[in-house]
Amino acid sequence: MAALAIGQPRGAAYLGAQQRFGFLLTVPALVAYGVLILYPFLNSARLAFYRSTLMAPEPVFRGLENFEQLFGDPDFLLSWLRTLVFVGATTALTVALGLGWAIVLNQGFRGARVLRSLSLLPWVMPSAVTALLWAWLLHGQYGILNAALLTLGVLDQPIAWLATGAWAMAAVVLAKTWLSTALVMTFFLASLQTLSSEQVEAARLDGAADRHVIRYIVLPHVRNTLLVVLVLQAMGNLQQIDVIYAMTGGGPVRATSVLSIEVYKTAFQNWNLGRASAIGVLWFLTIAIPAGIYLRTLFRE
Amino acid sequence: MLELSSPLARILFAALAAAIGAYLLFPVAWLVATSLKPDPEIFVKFPSLLPQHPTLDNFARALKASGLGGYLRNSLVTATGSALLTTTLAALAAFGFAKYRFRGRQPLMLLLIAAQMFPFAVLLITLYPMLKAVGLLNTLTGLTLSYIVFALPSGIYILFTFFVQIPDELIESARMDGAGEVTILRRIVLPLALPGLIAVAVYSFMWAWNDLFYSLTIIASKDLRTVGPGLMLEFFGEMQQDWGAAMAASFLASAPVVLLFAFLQRYFIQGLTAGAVKG
Repeated sequence: MAALAIGQPRGAAYLGAQQRFGFLLTVPALVAYGVLILYPFLNSARLAFYRSTLMAPEPVFRGLENFEQLFGDPDFLLSWLRTLVFVGATTALTVALGLGWAIVLNQGFRGARVLRSLSLLPWVMPSAVTALLWAWLLHGQYGILNAALLTLGVLDQPIAWLATGAWAMAAVVLAKTWLSTALVMTFFLASLQTLSSEQVEAARLDGAADRHVIRYIVLPHVRNTLLVVLVLQAMGNLQQIDVIYAMTGGGPVRATSVLSIEVYKTAFQNWNLGRASAIGVLWFLTIAIPAGIYLRTLFRE
Repeated sequence: MLELSSPLARILFAALAAAIGAYLLFPVAWLVATSLKPDPEIFVKFPSLLPQHPTLDNFARALKASGLGGYLRNSLVTATGSALLTTTLAALAAFGFAKYRFRGRQPLMLLLIAAQMFPFAVLLITLYPMLKAVGLLNTLTGLTLSYIVFALPSGIYILFTFFVQIPDELIESARMDGAGEVTILRRIVLPLALPGLIAVAVYSFMWAWNDLFYSLTIIASKDLRTVGPGLMLEFFGEMQQDWGAAMAASFLASAPVVLLFAFLQRYFIQGLTAGAVKG
């Protein structure tokens, strides 16, 4: 009997053991997740209801005090608004350019592959490099953008882009868009490559112009990708801190101080952990909206 | 795909292509050009596009003055460590989720993936005192562990999509032949999922290499600094105007990830689009 059991279809006990093995495989990751992600997240969320500052680090329960203060603080509300501006502008621009670039590369001309790889470099490079490079391109005195615009006659005077509120916001949007466009392109290109050429040709035979092909065939085809990419970009841009912090430090004054930077500064420069956590909770709720949509789509597939 | 019958459409399309291409590629070219220029060619109102008298002085200055070599080494240690750690944890978990039907696997996986929306800066508020309590603050070990936060959830998801594609029959027939679960994992599953493993390893390496503010917060001593904070603290600031050295240092700081990407691009893009990664 024992010899027969080897390699035989299994009883309940065997299946149980197998499933236990499967679960055991996930345990190390679950532990790391619990200790390094879930607990810190929940604990920070809890701290939002406490007062904990540099002077009095021991957390004291204060209910909604932090939130009340935040909602009464025009500076905070403005930084929320700035976050929406940054995320909205960056996400829209990145997705539009990414789709455009994917359509261009999908034309299949010679050198398209090399161009694709080269255009991914911005995404591969460290964010500190992105920040340094854009600060240099936009340098008020020696920057190439000023030189180009002066030469073309668009400007009479050089502009100190990063020292002017509205331009500084535009600059961080440009830098973050630059960093992510090719990644978005990758998703769209993968989707475009599954577009059947017969469908396009059939439409052509029916006399469809290019703009009709784009509108009625290409765009519907990439619709799902578009949704996923929009949500992922929105989430990523809400999380963005590195490039903005290095380029402008949230300034000039607070012109580019988005929620991520508010949390960071409140926590690690002012050491007001309760308040920083409260900002974090509101920030999380903002992220949760696109994230919820994303997870729903993901699991429907 | 597009035929662009009218000349006007062709011109518009070419202009659009050139504009996006220039936006994406010119800054990289400008980085390289600036890093090769001597100061008198850098600090002019109307700089030339190419270096007139190319020089490597900027690179020498970047390496000598800034301690860049040390930063690169520290980044290499933390990025490699976290890539190995993340890939191992993610591979085991993803295989468990993909090929075993234990109770609670769906909610658990949902919970893991949901972590992508926890704001990183918020986690740091608690991670910081935690690391401090166990004596890992201001250590490369502490930083390496913290980097798991970035890539583990997406890593599990990417590898899940790879493992799910491995046919159950393959695993079943190995079991019939008497192979144990560990042997199946080592001999059959991991080799088949190799592209995914490489993708996750490269992805987590890049996350760690490119990080700025975790390192900025967790590491205080200069000799433990990684490239992100290194570049920022050395080359940004009112007093710091050595843009030649800044671009040379940027070049050197990018080189390792760019090379990695160049060699492993194929796997990498496959993994990215399979796992819908954020960025």
